[in-house]
Amino acid sequence: MSTNKKYSIKKTDKETLAKWLKLMLVGRAIDNRAPNYLKQAIGWSYHAPYAGHDGIQLAIGQIFDREHDHLFPYYRDMLTTHSAGLTAEELILNGISRDTDVAGGGRHMSNHFAKPEWNIHNVSSCTGNHTLHAVGVARAMKKYKVPGVAISSQGESSVSEGYVYEAINGASNEKLPVIFVFQDNGYGISVPKADQTANRKVANNFTGFKNLKIFHCNGKDVFDSMNTMVEAKEYVAEHEHPVIVHANCVRIHSHSNSDRHDLYRDDYELNYVNEYDPLAKFRRMLIRYERFTEAELEAIENEAKAVVKAAHKAGMNAPQPSPESIHDFVIPEPYVSEKYPDGLHQDEGDSKKLIDGLNETLKAEFRQNPDTFIWGQDVANKEKGGIFNVTKGMQQEFGKERVFNGPIAEDYIMGTANGMSRFNDKLRIVVEGAEFADYFWPAMEQFVETSHDYWRSKGQYSPNITVRLASGGYIGGGLYHSQNIEASITPLPGIRVVYPSYADDAAGLLRTSIRSKGVTLFLEPKALYNSTKVATPIPDDFEVPFGKARLRREGSDLSIITYGNTTPLCVELADKFMENGIASMDVLDLRSLSPLDNDAILATVKKTGKVLVVHEDKVFGGFGGELVALINEEAFEHLDGPVKRVGSTFTPVGFNRILEAAVLPDIERIEKAATELLNY
Amino acid sequence: MNKIAIIYSFNTKKTGKIAAQIQESFNDDTIALVNAEEIRDEIFLSYDQIIMGVPTWFDGELPNYWDEFVPALEAMDLTGKRIALFGLGDQKGYPENFLDGVGMMAEILEAQGATLVGFTSREGYDFESSRALRGDHFVGLAIDYENQGSMNKDRVASWVDQLKKEFA
Repeated sequence: MSTNKKYSIKKTDKETLAKWLKLMLVGRAIDNRAPNYLKQAIGWSYHAPYAGHDGIQLAIGQIFDREHDHLFPYYRDMLTTHSAGLTAEELILNGISRDTDVAGGGRHMSNHFAKPEWNIHNVSSCTGNHTLHAVGVARAMKKYKVPGVAISSQGESSVSEGYVYEAINGASNEKLPVIFVFQDNGYGISVPKADQTANRKVANNFTGFKNLKIFHCNGKDVFDSMNTMVEAKEYVAEHEHPVIVHANCVRIHSHSNSDRHDLYRDDYELNYVNEYDPLAKFRRMLIRYERFTEAELEAIENEAKAVVKAAHKAGMNAPQPSPESIHDFVIPEPYVSEKYPDGLHQDEGDSKKLIDGLNETLKAEFRQNPDTFIWGQDVANKEKGGIFNVTKGMQQEFGKERVFNGPIAEDYIMGTANGMSRFNDKLRIVVEGAEFADYFWPAMEQFVETSHDYWRSKGQYSPNITVRLASGGYIGGGLYHSQNIEASITPLPGIRVVYPSYADDAAGLLRTSIRSKGVTLFLEPKALYNSTKVATPIPDDFEVPFGKARLRREGSDLSIITYGNTTPLCVELADKFMENGIASMDVLDLRSLSPLDNDAILATVKKTGKVLVVHEDKVFGGFGGELVALINEEAFEHLDGPVKRVGSTFTPVGFNRILEAAVLPDIERIEKAATELLNY
Repeated sequence: MNKIAIIYSFNTKKTGKIAAQIQESFNDDTIALVNAEEIRDEIFLSYDQIIMGVPTWFDGELPNYWDEFVPALEAMDLTGKRIALFGLGDQKGYPENFLDGVGMMAEILEAQGATLVGFTSREGYDFESSRALRGDHFVGLAIDYENQGSMNKDRVASWVDQLKKEFA
């Protein structure tokens, strides 16, 4: 119970009470009638009723200031968003997924209310993962020294997710202005909270966290909720660190329309949660303390009914999205290079190593754009800049506000990149997603989430992030320092995937990535960081567009299509065959895997008629399968033999060098396959 | 001794049973049983010695009928009133909030000048925390129907003996 008594049944002015009541009545009316839309096959197939959370949801919305704050509601937050300003019509448009739904035109699930224009963010169905986004945007608010708070709202059971602990740990450590609201109705679908964690009040799990204040309130009570949220917001402003508000609620109905709570709740419980209906309590208080007469309340109730009726009518007349629109807003248009439209140059200066190309490009971009940031594990401590020193010297030059370490929590690194990017679209964020690509898997839920933010918000929010990962093997690193992950990433729409091999291409692609809107996965062939074989001259302003492959060798007998660590192996073989008069070969370095340079691929196929696909990753399920399929579909009649593939064996990569060599492709295997094809 | 009222919700079962036991133990027909669901300022203020039945709901909340009366209580001058609280809790099911309702109500009443009586020892109870605890004593009588129901009668009888002296 809050000790703050700013609001009470006796003191709060009548106009405010009437406003609250109307919001609650409209919200509840829509909450109650939402299942009817499904019964009539109109839509709203997912509805998580909020009834029983009325007090805290009204309060969250009321303290939200759209000029300064960011709100991350969860799927039960209908009244929260209505109280924050979404109209009844906007709620219904979201519920029945119409094209004019302000959250994203019916692309995201119903009951995911949002208005990105007002910083009421379009959040995931992956419950509670927006805690990381709230932390990320709060980091930006702190760095740019603007007032306001990020408010994250979720159910108590979703606090069990590991990323919620990562988020609260990070907010506490970075002292960020975040209010984490836990709406505790005692259940995660049918799972009682006793099955989630030992404390009945999960907020108390965080009592040992430094820089964190925990408030408890009665989420069923309008005044206690209002007073607590006001106090929480003032506390964040005064102490400049995060708070948790744990609000006790009841869930009057089932979890959603796919749940039947009578299967696991007895009549006694169903009866008493009804008796503790927050709206009914508020109404009783208004009468008991003579703030309103029955006639006055009935007048407000009639107004609310009229609002809902009109909203329903408008919603039913709203347009449906068109099927053709599915291809809109998959990924934003990239930065366009005017000077290097094909990503080629004629510079003949001194050669630079790939690692230096990356380091110098990062620095150059950070010099020209003050709204750039980079973080990750291990990226900045004195003379060390990343496990491979790619970011060496950056913190010294750009300071700790822009170049800083992240905790060993990959999902936090990725999720806060998504969140920080929400601050405004000028920001360009680079993260080392993990120490090695192999350790990126914990971040996959945030990465997948980030892949469809742009689409599901109908272009209203673009995460502008370059995710750098040191990838591949050949360093004796074993199972967890050798993995290639591109075959798992390229199926995700909304992500660009690049995997350069040479220093100039790495520099040029990194510049394009950082300057572009959208998400780019930038895979770095770590075995080549310091290789002289891939060292090249690099123009200071070099740019490589996405989706532009590069012929590293030209010939007429065979095409090798490759990328990453295997490109220099293929080049070496091509040179050997040429020198020995065996064959002349095209070596096409893809550079970008998504988007893919279909034209360059088909052109080389048509030229030579024989194709060998080479990559470091496993042949089975590897990206090469997509290339073979493309060639088969688009250039079958030009082939003079089967498209063959060389890659890793279908095994993990062993640590012992003998095992590693047995797994990874080498020049002998490529030569053998190339020879077979030439002789076909 | 002035007239005593036991105020509790007539909709309750367990709290109502304890209220009946208290009345019986007093062996005094003049003790009034008042329904908390319908409590009004003037009724509450008409008694100088009050026994309130305050169960704890959810994870440490007052039941609605008391919670909705709090704004009225907070406007009252309770100087001179002697008030004893009894509450029902579940030490095993809700060990973090055992008798919190009694503790919350005690704080509200004291702030308005009431004198609380009927404190009891925590000896014999096993829980994690309670807002009703001050040192080694509860600010009222703790009843645990779920886990120590067989001790109710003795606890009530002993408490009423204590109240007879403290109300005197």
